[in-house]
Amino acid sequence: MSDGGEVVLEEITEDNILTFVDGIPGFADCHRFILVDMVEDSAFQFLQGIDDPDVSMIVTVPWIFFPEYAPELSEVEAQELSIESPEDAIVFCPVTLDADNDKLYVNLIAPFVVNVHSRQGRQLVLVDSEFPVRAEIDMSGVE
Amino acid sequence: MLVLTRRSGESIVIGNDVVVTVLEVRGDQVRIGIDAPRSVQVHREEIFKQVVAENEAAVRSAAGDREALARKLRQLRPPPRPPEG
Repeated sequence: MSDGGEVVLEEITEDNILTFVDGIPGFADCHRFILVDMVEDSAFQFLQGIDDPDVSMIVTVPWIFFPEYAPELSEVEAQELSIESPEDAIVFCPVTLDADNDKLYVNLIAPFVVNVHSRQGRQLVLVDSEFPVRAEIDMSGVE
Repeated sequence: MLVLTRRSGESIVIGNDVVVTVLEVRGDQVRIGIDAPRSVQVHREEIFKQVVAENEAAVRSAAGDREALARKLRQLRPPPRPPEG
């Protein structure tokens, strides 16, 4: 179990490595990642690069905060990732914590989509969508 | 940068399998068709750059002490919603 600290080698196994053949935008040389749980907070995880340990970001399942979110996979992307139905895919989005205002933003235009069986994934860029690159997580209701 | 002049309907070939065709020129807009293998991703540059910048910002904002970050996220955390289904 993760303590939220550094990734320990034991957590990396063939079964939990996610492979992004093209890397991700901005980090084209980082092809392999793992998802690391964040202690006591199931809403967020770390997407941790293996090829480049400095590549690590917070990610979230977008529907936790944006239930209406409906990204569309193009036919080409679906074929390439061998995704035939929504059950074949894991979807999560980058999260940015803005240090200036302490607000959390979810990048909805560029979700990560991973085939649950092959663990091959890609960060999509939903060019024809209206999704924002920074969707603020609504904090109303927080005590 | 290689600069080529093309007319509407003419193409250029990049490598062995990417063909870029000028479909229509109207005023200051150009419609371009791209035939490329699936493995080649094609993006509008300004959107791709935005995604690069946001990925970099996400990585910067997650750097440093993970426990402190986890504590911070807990403080900021919105109320949980019931799971779907």
